[in-house]
Amino acid sequence: MHISDGILAPEWCLLWFAVAIPFIAVGVWQIKRGTKENASYLPMLAMMGAAVFIISVWHIPVPVTGSCSHPIGTPLSAIIVGPFATVVLSTIALFFQTFFGHGGLTTLGANTMSMGILGTFSGYLLFLGLRKVKSPLWLAAGFAGFAGDIACYIVAALELALSLNPGSVLSHWALYTVGYIPTQLPLAVAEFVFTAGVVQYIADRRPDLVAKKLWGGVPSA
Amino acid sequence: MVVITVIFVIGAYLGYVAGSEMEGTDAMVEDTAASTANAEATSLAPAITDVVGEPIGFTIAGIVAGFIVGYFWTELFRRRENV
Repeated sequence: MHISDGILAPEWCLLWFAVAIPFIAVGVWQIKRGTKENASYLPMLAMMGAAVFIISVWHIPVPVTGSCSHPIGTPLSAIIVGPFATVVLSTIALFFQTFFGHGGLTTLGANTMSMGILGTFSGYLLFLGLRKVKSPLWLAAGFAGFAGDIACYIVAALELALSLNPGSVLSHWALYTVGYIPTQLPLAVAEFVFTAGVVQYIADRRPDLVAKKLWGGVPSA
Repeated sequence: MVVITVIFVIGAYLGYVAGSEMEGTDAMVEDTAASTANAEATSLAPAITDVVGEPIGFTIAGIVAGFIVGYFWTELFRRRENV
């Protein structure tokens, strides 16, 4: 979902920046508030930032399709440090990833939209919903990881179709989604596994870290 | 972290066994999309993706991330008996 410079039309680049900025602003506010109220929030943010950066840049081969792609890590981060803070973390990660040839500076807003916002919130809202119906923590976290991963790529496909194929958005959206999904499905399953594993691990050892209402989390017990 | 590492290692092994070119889907789909509208991918940021630059970049990123994780790991994940 790392869209490069030069691919999207300038007006779409600006639009995605405009959409992303309010989320980033709320995230900065959430981080400020979180660090004031809990001393362990900042180091957890740093760890999640490092995790999101590595997870979302490291291409994993999928031999079945003969191609490779990467998970996104933002649903995991959203459960631990909150969704809005995760938008900030993913924006920072995406910025540095441009220096590794992934994504672009003018498309930073679009990439933040797909990975940082839709990838984060789709997974996180599913997590909240599943927890509301008493789903086990690991299962809710796993499905959050899976859904966030797939949603991110569906949105990236939509961004490409909207900008490049305004006359046939739906058909090209479907075409690009089909291009992404075969490789992404196995990785979404991997994202299910590690999101479930990491959240359950943290909840077993430090349940307080995934239970902060301030961060938008839900009790893990 | 262990789970993530295991998944990466398994993925790398499967890729090695399959012996495919393993092109990234990001680039594949982007190229397909660009070709439909005569767009061309460029890079405004100075990329460090050559044979030398990428390992160095990832090493620096790994060291920084390692310090962060290593420094805070015990404090964050020490089991609290009375929680």
